[in-house]
Amino acid sequence: MAQVKLDIFRYDEAVDAVPHRDTVEIDVPITMTVLDALETAKAEVDGSISFRRSCRSAICGSCSMNINGVTGLACKTPCKSVMNDDGVIQIDPMPNFQPMKDLVVHMDPFWDKYTRLKPYLQPADRDEDHELERRVSPADMKKLVDAANCVMCATCYALCPVVSVDPSFAGPAAIAYAYRFIEDVRDGKRKERLAQINEDYLWLCAHCYACSYCPKHVDPHDRIVDVKRATIQEGVMMDHPGPRHALVVNRTIKKTGMLAETEVILGTVGRFNFRAQLKVAPLGLRMAVKGKMPPPFLKPIPKADEVRTIFESLEVPT
Amino acid sequence: MIKHDVVVIGGGLAGMRAAVEAAERGADVAIVSKMHPVRSHSGAAQGGINAALGNTAEDTPANHAFDTAKGSDYLGDQDAIEAMCDDAPRQIIWLEHRGCIFSRLPDGRLAQRPFGGAGSPRTCYSADVTGLVILHTLWEQLERFNVKVYEEYFCTALCTEDGVGTGVVAYNMRNGQLELITAKATIFATGGCGRMYAKTTNGYASTADGLGIAFRGGLPIMDMEFVQFHPTSLKENGVLLSEAARGEGAHLLNSLGERFMFKYAPEKGELASRDVVSRAGWTEIMQGRGIDGCVLLDLRHLGREKILERLPQIRELALDATGKDAIDTPIPILPGMHYTMGGIETDKFGATRIPGIYAAGEAACVSVHGANRLGGNSLLETIVFGARSAKHACEYIKEIGDVRPSERTLKAEQERIDRWLSKNEGVRAPQIRAQMNKTMSENVFIFRNEKELTKAVDDLLEIRKTFDRDVYVMDKSKTFNTDLVHAMEVDFLIDAAMCVANGALARKESRGAQARTDYPERDDENWMLHTLAWRQDGQNPRLDYSRKVTITKWAPTVRSY
Repeated sequence: MAQVKLDIFRYDEAVDAVPHRDTVEIDVPITMTVLDALETAKAEVDGSISFRRSCRSAICGSCSMNINGVTGLACKTPCKSVMNDDGVIQIDPMPNFQPMKDLVVHMDPFWDKYTRLKPYLQPADRDEDHELERRVSPADMKKLVDAANCVMCATCYALCPVVSVDPSFAGPAAIAYAYRFIEDVRDGKRKERLAQINEDYLWLCAHCYACSYCPKHVDPHDRIVDVKRATIQEGVMMDHPGPRHALVVNRTIKKTGMLAETEVILGTVGRFNFRAQLKVAPLGLRMAVKGKMPPPFLKPIPKADEVRTIFESLEVPT
Repeated sequence: MIKHDVVVIGGGLAGMRAAVEAAERGADVAIVSKMHPVRSHSGAAQGGINAALGNTAEDTPANHAFDTAKGSDYLGDQDAIEAMCDDAPRQIIWLEHRGCIFSRLPDGRLAQRPFGGAGSPRTCYSADVTGLVILHTLWEQLERFNVKVYEEYFCTALCTEDGVGTGVVAYNMRNGQLELITAKATIFATGGCGRMYAKTTNGYASTADGLGIAFRGGLPIMDMEFVQFHPTSLKENGVLLSEAARGEGAHLLNSLGERFMFKYAPEKGELASRDVVSRAGWTEIMQGRGIDGCVLLDLRHLGREKILERLPQIRELALDATGKDAIDTPIPILPGMHYTMGGIETDKFGATRIPGIYAAGEAACVSVHGANRLGGNSLLETIVFGARSAKHACEYIKEIGDVRPSERTLKAEQERIDRWLSKNEGVRAPQIRAQMNKTMSENVFIFRNEKELTKAVDDLLEIRKTFDRDVYVMDKSKTFNTDLVHAMEVDFLIDAAMCVANGALARKESRGAQARTDYPERDDENWMLHTLAWRQDGQNPRLDYSRKVTITKWAPTVRSY
């Protein structure tokens, strides 16, 4: 047994103008999870402490919260792994969400991201054409299995810095869920789905890897990369800045061994898209004034052919 | 006021399957759930769902029905069992066509694994997250049909006018308002009641809500004494390690390193039905061949690759709770409360005795599981009877005109809540729950006897009275007041526990999950009867044995594995 001090964010949207914090001290075994510690605190000390929970075995996704500033499932976090020398554990609601009460947040914006996906199978053929199950090879099914482990706990969404600055970004969880349909051989809307997720700012992902911390090992970041790759492979939305940016970055580095920034800007906004070029022109001018303007034509680095060899060995043979 | 033709209480597998069926039939349907549907405890189901597809070995729905009837220790109603097993393949294909991510055979058909008490490998699965993938598939269908979900609404009571169901009262957790919900047909799919016990595989939210509501609404609760103890739950937190482990070949070992199951089930060994395996494990522990109050689940010989491919979740759950990696260490396990075979009495269409009120899934008792449920049949029951109850409800609503619930029930519920909120002293629900958990775990466990059961019945009556007299809610907030919701849950749980203890004390025989040391034999002469419990305010339930077991093909015979 050890004394654990839960330092909890307290707030009630109906009555509080600002949040405050309470510290609740309880004696529990240190192997106990943070969720069970909260449950004990609520049962024995203060019944008003509010949080969501259900399965307590990391499958329902209810109890995602910030524990010492890091988002995770409280039911999967033992107290001993997070308490400091004084036994204190700081508990806050997930970021990127509006708090409702204590650790409970408004989840609706998160669910809306799924609704936009039309998240249900849309086969190209009719069910009646298949007397029994649709045949799917184990290898094709396996592609979906990791994504299927997602419990929609929103940990990745809370950790995502892009969501924090632009809430219209679909976010890692929804993109991973889109991947689940995009890669399902039974689905008939691959291109439409890719177009839709592109519309929902797929390319805003900055590849910071924050969402690679996933309690269920879904690794949404890798799924985001997969969806971007599928977008380019399928030639969907190729007139949009996202795919064009990726391709031009790829092309200039392959050619010169360096990032040819001028070319990247032109390639991203479009070589003949003069209106978009006018928009970025002031930035270019300011850069020129400060002497930061990269040269319009780059001389390839020495041994640029070695860089090219790396690219070629990684490219999928067409 | 909220108004729909069909209202489903609960957003787990049974509830969502019912809602999707009603939506497909064009009904105006809504779900009322205390959680977002994907948070439901159905998602924690691991091992699989049974259907006689015969994909890996010869199999027929009749074989499935026989195994189920035998597994039920002949207390299941065989007409309902046959209906379920006949419908099973069609329902699995229905799920597959809607995108469910089932594991596959090399030729692309659905894979099936062996499960306890089954004569053939007939359990379809998705690694060890079968419940989760089906839950997601059904939630996707809700999105497809744009089914309205009243999320985080806690249903508190049933409304009837002139003996006909007219809707429910529900507490909106987000703003603390009680609301009257009008429905021509109401389907209760609220799941189980594991939280009667201290240690259970069930989540915090499995609290007998629908059961308690129906019981108070004047419906009988059937066969509650049959509580399934799962043989392999973790000692630390009661979390489930799926039967799929044994289906894939895991062994159960005692402290001597013996595979003890063959002493108890010479043919099936570890794959005997759950009641048999749980009693065997507990006997080993009681006779001193346990290790720290546990026996061992040994997966080592399956090999890393198979464990990671087919059982990744249970490996991680065991690792998180015990620090032991099943790949190279046996995991200490013991039997834990898992499932209630009993529930709201229904006929084989999911209808109760009140017109317009239906029940499906674990909340219901059809009865297809009788005295003991086979692994893989619970998910099947949710799907089959979720769909059937909705089908029946959709036919029923065509027959009746508008219904109008009176404000009477709403007022009574408001008074109940206000009474608890207005008090500042007394006893809080968590303390009362702890007393109930203690007596249930000590006196209504795997092996039962008159003395302990009488103690449980007396304790629970006292607990019931304490709750009714002294309970108060500490949190006075109108926003997300889970302290209040938990008190309502405990209120329902006490009712459920009283049905269990009273039913167990009255049934003087051993059958399936009910093992009486003072009546060790099954008594087909006197006890081929269902237990019906009717609520009596502040008293023990009145028990009634007017419903006989329906036998179609398989007369009771000696049951061995």
